[in-house]
Amino acid sequence: MSVLRLSGWAGLAAIGPLVAWLTPSLLTQSLVAQATFLAIFALGVGLLLRQNGMVSFGHAAFFGLPGYMLGALLPLKLMPVELLICTAVLLTAGAAFVIGLVIVRAHGIAFGMLTLAVGQAVYEAATRMRGLTGGNDGLSLRLPPHLFGLSMKTFQQPGGMLIVSWLVMVTVLALVSVLGASRLGVLTEAIRDNEERARFLGYRTLLPRATMFAISAAVTAVGGVLFSLYNAFISPDTVHWTASGSALIMAILGGSGAFWGPVAGAFVYFFVKDLLSGYTAHWLSIIGMALIVTTVAFPAGLAGVVPWMRKLIESRQGEDPVASA
Amino acid sequence: MAIQLLNGLVYGALLFTVASGLALMFGLRRIVNFAHGSLYMLGAYIGYSASAVFGFWGGLIAAGACLALVGLLLDSVVFRPLQRRDPLTTLLVTFGLALIAEDLVLTIWGKDTLSFAAPSELAANWSLFGASFPVYRLAMIGFGAVAALGLFLWLRLSRVGLFVRAASQDPVIAAVQGINTDRVSALVVAISASLAGVSGVVAAPLLSLAPNMAGDILVDSFIVVVVGGLGSIGGAFVTAIVLGQINVLGVVFMPELTSLLPFLLMIAVLVWKPAGLAGERV
Repeated sequence: MSVLRLSGWAGLAAIGPLVAWLTPSLLTQSLVAQATFLAIFALGVGLLLRQNGMVSFGHAAFFGLPGYMLGALLPLKLMPVELLICTAVLLTAGAAFVIGLVIVRAHGIAFGMLTLAVGQAVYEAATRMRGLTGGNDGLSLRLPPHLFGLSMKTFQQPGGMLIVSWLVMVTVLALVSVLGASRLGVLTEAIRDNEERARFLGYRTLLPRATMFAISAAVTAVGGVLFSLYNAFISPDTVHWTASGSALIMAILGGSGAFWGPVAGAFVYFFVKDLLSGYTAHWLSIIGMALIVTTVAFPAGLAGVVPWMRKLIESRQGEDPVASA
Repeated sequence: MAIQLLNGLVYGALLFTVASGLALMFGLRRIVNFAHGSLYMLGAYIGYSASAVFGFWGGLIAAGACLALVGLLLDSVVFRPLQRRDPLTTLLVTFGLALIAEDLVLTIWGKDTLSFAAPSELAANWSLFGASFPVYRLAMIGFGAVAALGLFLWLRLSRVGLFVRAASQDPVIAAVQGINTDRVSALVVAISASLAGVSGVVAAPLLSLAPNMAGDILVDSFIVVVVGGLGSIGGAFVTAIVLGQINVLGVVFMPELTSLLPFLLMIAVLVWKPAGLAGERV
């Protein structure tokens, strides 16, 4: 079983390089690369939704923060760039943890409102603190010629970035699936379902939830690092709440029942948007309706399709006398 | 200085009229209407088009009436069918509605900023405290004060207001006592939506119209309701006034930090009182 599972992960990891090799079109490669950034972004949002049962309208802040940190800290040459990247992700997670300690105490919908406010605070800071962030003009990243032993060009060409970001995405996905089965994962799910009972059993409930919030921010930050390396540029649009809203929609469309749901949601969202952009200007209405229909009628999202099909196949087999005999 | 305080009151009054609707809806249905900013925006745009034909006051009335109908529709099509579902469902559905409303505005009125002139009766400037101050802004403060007083008297003195307060405290017990909570809720949502729409028109001469106005007012209104205590009109009133002052005084004393001050206030209050200033009170 575990061999099967490992080869499954290996197969999934191979898809990215395969796509890069099979499609000579730079445009397609670039689209897939950008979709993986958003998939990692949505993975963080989905993790929070699945483990804590909380919706975030402010994760774009964690997507953009590492980029801004890189932009501000790269010229200072404080440490090797590789270390700086890790530090940026960790600092983002740390900031999320501190914010989380305050806002995860608010429940359900109030939490959603607070994340929106926190996200917009970061957006306001990005537009106002011109000296640090470049304001509305954005900030160019002064990247070194080499990173993690690879030429910087690898990170900025669609084909190279596609392979890198795909492998990172599969790694994060694997880590998220491990996290879901871990002690923290199970505990947060218990708190999500009934905080009072979890507390009654003797568990602290604030810390695990804040930790999960920080981890989900870290996942999103990894996507943000890839995004800012690829573009070598960061602007306030990246941290605007509409970006958080899109990531939340991806996570909902994909479904939070399975850990891979948000990734599927992100790819579907991104490519349907790209396909439709040539035909209609009413993307906002389409995605709005898709969100409404999914939340009301198919809360399990795309991830719900698999158990549904399995059930369908099993019931077919049950009806078939030859198969049951 | 006194002029700055007045300017703060102008924004505070506007925030209160928008946020009070959010607070009322939360009290009754335990839901958060993510499309509340869109109601404000739709009101402003409807008022803009109607005022071209009927003048400013006609536009104001048209926006109020149209948005009351939108509110009734919202309650019967969205809130009532979803009332037994997780409140997150309603939040996400209204988020979807907000996206559709933005598309609607982009399609009908375009993405350019539109300006909306104040009515000629109120276009003058008065000299106050040794400076000149637009009468229209005074009228905005007046509008906020009238709305606050009206809501207060309605909730405290009228029979329906009593029902609203009872249903906010415990919808089930209120229903058991014979209050038709569905009808009370339809009325409250209609009034909230209408108030948001009228606020959109009232704010338009000052803030002008653009499709992103919904998001901007929504963020500030959320801060007002969360800090004030979800569902509390009194809490929303106090917070809106304070936030209005913070905005204006921040511009004077700490221009770089102004936009961050509301968030810092929010964090500070939540550390101190996680349920908001008014807590669970209505």
